[in-house]
Amino acid sequence: MSNFEKINGAFTLDLTLDEAQILINLAEQLLELLGEGDFFHHYYSSDPLAQLLAMPAEIVTPEDPVLLRLLPNAYADPEAASDFRRYTEPQLRGSKQRNLRLIREELTILVDENHGGVIENIDPDIWLKALNDLRIALSVRLEITEESFEKFEMMPDDEPAKSVHAVYYWLGWLQENLLESLT
Amino acid sequence: MAKILESPELSIDQLIDRPWVTIVWDDPVNLMNYVTHVFIKLFGFSKERAHELMMQVHTEGRAVVSSGTREEMERDVQRLHEHGLWATLQRDDKI
Repeated sequence: MSNFEKINGAFTLDLTLDEAQILINLAEQLLELLGEGDFFHHYYSSDPLAQLLAMPAEIVTPEDPVLLRLLPNAYADPEAASDFRRYTEPQLRGSKQRNLRLIREELTILVDENHGGVIENIDPDIWLKALNDLRIALSVRLEITEESFEKFEMMPDDEPAKSVHAVYYWLGWLQENLLESLT
Repeated sequence: MAKILESPELSIDQLIDRPWVTIVWDDPVNLMNYVTHVFIKLFGFSKERAHELMMQVHTEGRAVVSSGTREEMERDVQRLHEHGLWATLQRDDKI
């Protein structure tokens, strides 16, 4: 069974109610972590004063390992990394927030109006990026390594970590499925 | 007895001309197909070249995916970060 399909050049996503709710929940948690404060808009305003005011003197390197993985240092040198972050992080953060908000919106409509089913005309690029960011966030919390899948398969069903791992691997399957529908 | 080391032929010109490179690092999360897809999308590589670079990241832990001016590499790193790949830029360390 596949969730993503390409029909006449348009992409659709078929989800059960439970699947849609899991995705909404994850998207909302990551949005909360990324912060809802949105100075991206002002930063890109064409008004020079707004740009000047919105330019932060410094953006600190995130302490949370999930944020540090999603908004990583671009340079090994801390000073160069910090300078780069100051100029680029608002845009990077904003791009991730927009992707997550968009999928949350589509999923919410699916849950509220149709109780699951098919989302028509999804943007595969946005979904790929959003699913990937969700997987990255979960992987940091679950401390995923190359060996994790084998361990997951050996976990007894009553192991509390099993269900979260199951969600993580399901997301990977979903993303792989979307990649396959692109070709 | 230690041999006299050959003097590396360094010149200021070479240092100045050394290009910047974008490096993608391996991680246990990004799917192989996804990394290949992103390389094709961002750099216009053929499927074969993108696959080769993805495999280099996977087996060697890192691969240089582009080179050029510092500004160009900063743009590449930013686009890779938007796609969730772990990328950094630095001066090319090959002399």
